[in-house]
Amino acid sequence: MEKLLRNKKAIALFLGPGLVLFTLVLFIPILQSIYYSFCDYNALTPPKWIGLQNYKELMKDETMGIALKNSMFFLIFSCVSQLVMGLVLAGLVTNIPKGRNLFKNVIYLPCVLSSAALGLLWMFIFSPKLGINQLLAKFGIQGPLWLMDTKGFIILPMWVVGFVSLWQYVGQSMMLYMAQISGIDKSLYEASYIDGCTKTQTFRHITLPLLKPMVGTAMSLNAIGSLKFFDLIYNMTEGGPNHKTEVLATHLYTQGFKYFKYGYASAIGVVLLVLCLVCTFVIQKLFKDDNL
Amino acid sequence: MNTKVETTSFYSGEKLGFHRKKREKKPKAKIHWTVGLVITYVFLVFMLVIYLAPLLWTFMVSFKTNAEIFTSPFTPPRILQLGNYIVAWTAGHLGSATLNSFAVSVITLALSMFLGATISFALGIMRWKGQTAVLTYFMMGMMIPVHCVLIPLFTRFAHMGLSNTLTGIIIPYLTFSLPTVIFIMTGFFKSLPHELIESACIDGANIYQIFWKIAVPLARTGFFVTGMMTFIANWNELLLAMVFISDDEKKTLPVALSKFVGPYNTNYSQMFAAIVLAIIPTIVVYCCFSNQIVDGLTAGAVKG
Repeated sequence: MEKLLRNKKAIALFLGPGLVLFTLVLFIPILQSIYYSFCDYNALTPPKWIGLQNYKELMKDETMGIALKNSMFFLIFSCVSQLVMGLVLAGLVTNIPKGRNLFKNVIYLPCVLSSAALGLLWMFIFSPKLGINQLLAKFGIQGPLWLMDTKGFIILPMWVVGFVSLWQYVGQSMMLYMAQISGIDKSLYEASYIDGCTKTQTFRHITLPLLKPMVGTAMSLNAIGSLKFFDLIYNMTEGGPNHKTEVLATHLYTQGFKYFKYGYASAIGVVLLVLCLVCTFVIQKLFKDDNL
Repeated sequence: MNTKVETTSFYSGEKLGFHRKKREKKPKAKIHWTVGLVITYVFLVFMLVIYLAPLLWTFMVSFKTNAEIFTSPFTPPRILQLGNYIVAWTAGHLGSATLNSFAVSVITLALSMFLGATISFALGIMRWKGQTAVLTYFMMGMMIPVHCVLIPLFTRFAHMGLSNTLTGIIIPYLTFSLPTVIFIMTGFFKSLPHELIESACIDGANIYQIFWKIAVPLARTGFFVTGMMTFIANWNELLLAMVFISDDEKKTLPVALSKFVGPYNTNYSQMFAAIVLAIIPTIVVYCCFSNQIVDGLTAGAVKG
């Protein structure tokens, strides 16, 4: 038995293809990407070492500043809004006597749809002369330019895209919390009922503390997802107007595959990678170490 | 996304509704309507409207003429303009795009299931030194965003003649699908009762038979969950496909759609028809299996 499970030949056969694939498609490209970020490299010339030049340029790049600010906005906005809405919806949907599946399935639906298609759909709904603005016009209100307004520190289009991403992905947070809630021991609720707790008190003092580990899982999913954010922005605003809604991923795409500045785009990629790793690490430290 | 693999059998079939018993008829409990409950329902119905209205509106206006969208956006179309769909299907290359997306997703699915199973079997059931290190190496892929490897892969594939081919996107799709599959399947294999493998050993099975005849059939639920996650993720992927594919006939669905629906197109109703065509397959499948899909994906996300 032991000998069988230690069969070296079988292990090599089982692991070999996967390890080769990972090394070639993931590990080496990551190292290459880090190397390119220190190089002057574009579609025409081979990479040439220039040290920290790309990163110095990144610091001066105005669009990069905007992209970083917008990505941070998405990160915070999606973590907070998904947490609040996810919890509220999970709390409400688990406690209704009828129609639980209907609400759950409809709210989850956008999660499985292509965010490229949904981005386009919402782009039309928020476009100057269609959708929402047509609806507002019926009531005699002149709707704003949802996706083109540029006033304020966090401009209106960012809030709109943030709303759409919340709309699309809140179902996932809701389901994660619902899964956790259904795993809570019923006797705890009975005890609290006997002690005369109200529903709100029960939710606050029993459900919430027991949900904490799941908050960590849901939040790290949201955080990584919002940093990788590309489809919705690309299809709703394409980074415009005037690069005001650019995020890290779209900035990387534009620099790398429209201007073919491979070295510079790699530097953006490295910034993105570092942010992802830091986020995962911080959230795990905050939520994961106790009671799991 | 912790790399700790828990040994609870979370994926028992019942949880996913495979062996769901016929629901026993409960004695009809009268719903006790309180103010709170009414407010809850009002709020939830409002959410339902927010979720369904945009989709239904798109569906409705896709049958209108372009002028009708601007003059009467909220009334049903006077004549069903099926021509919109024909134009979107042909001019937008949506037909070939759907096929491409399907081919790419299915091939990636099959490969990732097979590779994922073998790797997870080696990591979860077999015993050797350095298992944790190898698992961590694979888990790296969950934290690394695909954007970071786009440029090296793109230049490398261009040299190898893989850019602008479907193989060129299947390889990275496979690589980025595997970490989740491995993570979940390893947990799954670890939770299998050890006695089963022991008794198979005693009966004289070799390691490949144990893999193929015992471990794989027992891990069906795991395959279902991870397979669905893989399929949906790759079916919807935009960035990588957009960078790697430039021929219209080779584009996948999200790319073809993004190209057809853009600032250069002025016929709104055709663009709406294209959006409907792009999302309708997923919606139909979702409507048929919504409970299994939602529970399966949630189970996957809990672990992932």
